[in-house]
Amino acid sequence: MGALQSSPGQPEYVDLKEKTGFSFSQIRVLHKRFKLLSHNGETLKRDHFNSIPDLACNPIRSQIIEAFFDRRNFRQNGEGPVDEIHFEEFLMVMSHFKAPSPRMIEERESVRREKLRFIFNMHDTDNDGTITLEEYRHVIDELLSLSEALEKDTAKSIADAAMLEVASTSMGHMEPDEFYEGITFEHFLKLLKGFEIELKMNVHFSMMDTPTFCK
Amino acid sequence: MAWFTIPVENLLCRCLCIFITVWLTLLIVFIMVPAVLGISFGIRRLYMRTLLKIFEWATSRMEMGAKEKNQQLYKPCCNGIIAKKTPTSLQQDLQELCGSASCPRSEPQFEMADIFFFCRRGVESILDDEVTKRFSSQELDSWNLLTRSNYNFRHISLRLTVIWGLGVLVRYGVLLPLRVTLAVTGIGLLVVLTTLLGFLPNRELRFSLSEKIHLMCHRICVRALTAIITYHNRENKPKNGGICVSNHTTPIDVIILANDGCYSMVGQVHGGLMGMIQRAMVKSSPHIWFERSEVKDRHLVAKRLSDHVADKTKQPILIFPEGTCINNTSVMMFKKGSFEIACTVYPVAIKYDPRFGDAFWNSSKFGMVYYLLRMMSSWAVVCSVWYLPPMNREEGEDAVQFANRVKAAIAAQGGLVDLIWDGGLKRAKVKDAFKEEQQNLYSKVLLGEQDEGDLGDDKHLEDENPEEDERNQDPTKEQ
Repeated sequence: MGALQSSPGQPEYVDLKEKTGFSFSQIRVLHKRFKLLSHNGETLKRDHFNSIPDLACNPIRSQIIEAFFDRRNFRQNGEGPVDEIHFEEFLMVMSHFKAPSPRMIEERESVRREKLRFIFNMHDTDNDGTITLEEYRHVIDELLSLSEALEKDTAKSIADAAMLEVASTSMGHMEPDEFYEGITFEHFLKLLKGFEIELKMNVHFSMMDTPTFCK
Repeated sequence: MAWFTIPVENLLCRCLCIFITVWLTLLIVFIMVPAVLGISFGIRRLYMRTLLKIFEWATSRMEMGAKEKNQQLYKPCCNGIIAKKTPTSLQQDLQELCGSASCPRSEPQFEMADIFFFCRRGVESILDDEVTKRFSSQELDSWNLLTRSNYNFRHISLRLTVIWGLGVLVRYGVLLPLRVTLAVTGIGLLVVLTTLLGFLPNRELRFSLSEKIHLMCHRICVRALTAIITYHNRENKPKNGGICVSNHTTPIDVIILANDGCYSMVGQVHGGLMGMIQRAMVKSSPHIWFERSEVKDRHLVAKRLSDHVADKTKQPILIFPEGTCINNTSVMMFKKGSFEIACTVYPVAIKYDPRFGDAFWNSSKFGMVYYLLRMMSSWAVVCSVWYLPPMNREEGEDAVQFANRVKAAIAAQGGLVDLIWDGGLKRAKVKDAFKEEQQNLYSKVLLGEQDEGDLGDDKHLEDENPEEDERNQDPTKEQ
């Protein structure tokens, strides 16, 4: 009548803790959430994400879901999409949203790069290493409304203006017949230089290492 | 050696007979007679208090065990995975995000940074959202000697295991057969007596007798579950010509409410055993059973309900507007159908005590029979029922607003979270209209229409702004 939960300190949890940096109790809670979302299955599919009502209201929901199924985010130097993910991959993607520990500056820099890489991957859907105008436009389309609030071309013009800005920032002055391929990762980094993403793009996981007495 | 075995067999038979006689006598005296007469010896409450003491002891043993091994007990943290900040409006959040880089918000300038915001929000929803966790059982802080709710199995000492083993024996060997017998008796009596009553010509006699019979059989069923119910504010009990609405956790809700008063049930016609019970019940009192095809026809449903309500001699109708079972930590959207009928609504809040057994019926996980067996092998079903003062629809209030008002009252009384989400999301997906709303909101901010900034982006979550809830009603309506 009901399964007994597995105890922490299991070998695979130790492994995960090292790879992702989550604590044991955080891993345990996340595992429970994984099981809830996957209806006690071993893997999560895209459909499982689609059943979360809160997520359905998010304009870039499909990009976020794709990010979970993108091998580039699994830190294993793979590429391309997968159809289903196991708990380990789920944790890997989640770990992109951890706040950096208030330690050395070098770690902050690498964490920053990681998070920006995550966002970059989200835009760069064909995985060629650059965000082209088309890809950028697609993301803006998702973000903006399809209704009467904006005209059809506003999204397009916003995307064009943004690309122009990026081009001028990174390339300086361009010859008239030079064609701007797309935003590379280095340009992307330069563009968001002043932006402290390592502070802004974090999910605040609650501290669960100390036993809490609810009630 | 036949001469030796025969006396032993006789002895065995005699012992068995004595045992059964004693058992049946105890059953009749202590359970059936009080059920029939409607009195209570207080045995169940004594049982409840004893159990609580044992549970406390069990929990403290586990804590001691954990301390000895220098490890931590797993405590389901009620704050959730994420330490959420107070909800702010979309515009404020975007401003904050933009604050460090220099970007004027006066022009419709698209910033890459906005994506970060939605990304983070999206991941937060994946980790912890208000809705999916309502469709699975609540977790307990202490252990109630049931394997199914134990998360700290490693910390159990020998003494505790022995007690747990005893518990299993008692629950499955003693309580379960007893309860099953009672349940069968109760349902059997209900079917037989109501059918018999159907033959009586005199309508009024039939009516008053049927009330008594229904109450008696429900009392037996309540004892079959060892349900210990506390009714509050009985002066507000539903009266004839009204509708009683309540939050829905399990099919047992019906028995719990019918234990204290007579209601007309509403439901679909089933086949098999359920169908037989339904047909028997309707012979002696006016219940409303719909054919499967009729359920889709909203006007027909509304008409039959209205006709029933208009007749003041008929009992109040019992309806569960959520439409599905929720895990008793929250109240989800009430479907407006029952609130469109012009009559008094009597709200009732039911709250189960999770320490004695989890009453929530997770219909995707197990079927009805398994659920009933689970219920009958738990320690008890302890719950509180509050009868709230009757409510009427006010001038200028539409059905949806009225439904929300009633829902808020029930949630407040029962200590449940008041959610605006539809319980139907258990099985269905959110409509695209929702996604478009969010996109609309974002584009307005982008275009600098700052007065719209009042629309907090969490409007679809907690019931903070009633006017926005109304605007949200259309996408969330399932009917």
